[in-house]
Amino acid sequence: MDGYLGIDVGSVSTNLVVLDENEEVVAKIYRRTQGKPIEAVQAGLTELEDLLTEPVNVLGVGATGSARHLTGVVVGADAVRNEITAHAMAARHAQPDVRTVLEIGGQDSKVIVLQDGIPIDFAMNTVCAAGTGSFLDHQSSRLGIPIEEFGGIAMTAERGSQIAGRCGVFAESDMIHKQQVGHPTNEIVYGLCQALVRNYLNNLAKGKDILAPIVFQGGVAANEGMKRAFEEALEQEVTIPEHFNVMGAIGSALLAKRIMSRTDNTTHFKGFHSADFEYKTSSFGCAACANSCEIIQIAQEDGSEKGDVLARWGGRCDKWDLAPTSITQA
Amino acid sequence: MAPTVGLPRALLYYKYHAAWDAFFNHLGVETVTSENTSKKVLNIGLKASDSEICLPVKVFYGHALDLGEKCDYVFIPRIVQVEKGSFTCPKFLGLPDMIRAVDNPPEIISPTIDVRNGRHAIRDAALEVGRMFTDDEAKIVKAYKLAMKALRKHEKDLVKENIEKTPIEKLKSLIGGNEGNKEPVLRIGIAGHAYNIEDPYISLNLIQRLKDRGIEVVTPENVPMKKIKKAAKDAPKDLFWNYERDILGASYHWVKNKVVDGIIYVVAFPCGPDSTIQVFVEGYAKKEGPVPLMSIVIDEHSAEAGLVTRLEAFVDLLTESKLSAQGV
Repeated sequence: MDGYLGIDVGSVSTNLVVLDENEEVVAKIYRRTQGKPIEAVQAGLTELEDLLTEPVNVLGVGATGSARHLTGVVVGADAVRNEITAHAMAARHAQPDVRTVLEIGGQDSKVIVLQDGIPIDFAMNTVCAAGTGSFLDHQSSRLGIPIEEFGGIAMTAERGSQIAGRCGVFAESDMIHKQQVGHPTNEIVYGLCQALVRNYLNNLAKGKDILAPIVFQGGVAANEGMKRAFEEALEQEVTIPEHFNVMGAIGSALLAKRIMSRTDNTTHFKGFHSADFEYKTSSFGCAACANSCEIIQIAQEDGSEKGDVLARWGGRCDKWDLAPTSITQA
Repeated sequence: MAPTVGLPRALLYYKYHAAWDAFFNHLGVETVTSENTSKKVLNIGLKASDSEICLPVKVFYGHALDLGEKCDYVFIPRIVQVEKGSFTCPKFLGLPDMIRAVDNPPEIISPTIDVRNGRHAIRDAALEVGRMFTDDEAKIVKAYKLAMKALRKHEKDLVKENIEKTPIEKLKSLIGGNEGNKEPVLRIGIAGHAYNIEDPYISLNLIQRLKDRGIEVVTPENVPMKKIKKAAKDAPKDLFWNYERDILGASYHWVKNKVVDGIIYVVAFPCGPDSTIQVFVEGYAKKEGPVPLMSIVIDEHSAEAGLVTRLEAFVDLLTESKLSAQGV
């Protein structure tokens, strides 16, 4: 079977999918990055191969997410693209008439507005990660509720407690206050969902036209309480696609397919066993000018002390830049 | 030895450096321009300045103080009003005082530029400065005239007249990636102050990054003043600040006459005037275009990764919508 591989390595989760020629998902992996993107990708690839019922001839590989460049080097990606484009592609693939994509991941959140399948506007949170998956993770562990049960508990609440959602720090002290004065836990949990949605709509999505059909994706879409809060705030139905938590990976596989079909290139994929290679990242400070840039270097172990340097980045100028030759920058 | 005057490469240097260089050089004064903004310059600025002030002023501190050790004087004019009826941002009014307030301030030359001081306000300011270096008034007046001439030439050189939409055929080459295609297929207008967008360090090399992707970049400086003023009339009222009026007018012109495929609005944190104008421009781009617009806020913590992701996505968005609009 011919297929395409998509890999999305974010701050919290690492997701991999294999699409067949008809762009259907044949296998998917959702796992935690745990601060080790290379290991997460290598382990993910091994797991993914185990899931395949028949061997897949990979025709193209896409990488996205905040570790996309690193991933691109490790696996030999053909398309290394940003996660906004990848999510828009995947949402359009799942629901061709989609107008609005709400995406909340581990540390970032996005809103993408589409018209006739073309993205026309987007926004992505900047430095503040309040209201993203990490924050929910933190709060659920503080409340002693496994994150998987968070949404279910929110659904049992008749109403939500009023929680300040503007800032994660304030939200937390507000929640503690509500606990201390005796609010039921399920109302606090749902109140937090409402606060995050309010924050999302008033800050990130401010001034954007949120039109139906609306698709809600990203890891946080697993939380039914968030879906309910979005639907109440928007007074519209919000759809969660079947593969909501691996949409970035699906999008990058689609981007890889598109690039490969437009060029005559053959894939640079190193195979599912690129997991067998040892990679080493290192950094050093450049002393060539007053900017003192931090340069990151990734090398493949080859028995020598430094290894075979595959790529380098991080400088403000191109003095140290070494781009992996495989990647089509289109 | 000729006296040396330092020109901090920050703020209004980007607008007026041609005039300053010409003026001092005719008087036999050597000008020393500070180096490009770097981490070192920014750190000097961050340490010396008030934490509440905007990023470009912090950068200015860095340049001014770095120069103080290298020249006899640092030139920091107090620019109050350059056009009747409008003002510059209050930070320009207080700039020389802010620098004087640091420990061991450099020797500062700070003439007041305020067109309310009569028809010859700027010439009078030039005379005041010139007398520090020569008694020959005729020579100073000549230096002033040369300065104005140099400024007008500089401004004229930046203007790009009759920019038209990019032709459709070039778009098709986008489909197979941008390789081998040297002609720009997209044009993006960068709305923002020259001292932010032209400074590669604080703008995280925004303009060059776009150019590297084969994109044509235009800035408010490229728009003829006549067109800026005409387009700015679409604003609900005359703007209080002239430099921001230029940004607004240029952006309105780009939208109204369909000059660009998209606009990137660069705001420096925490700029008051920018935050106001940005809302006007966003609304106009949506209503009169729609022209896709993305805002980028820069501050001293700006991370490159976030910028690169947004830029890539914005370029993808513009490319896709242009291709689809042309039915390619």
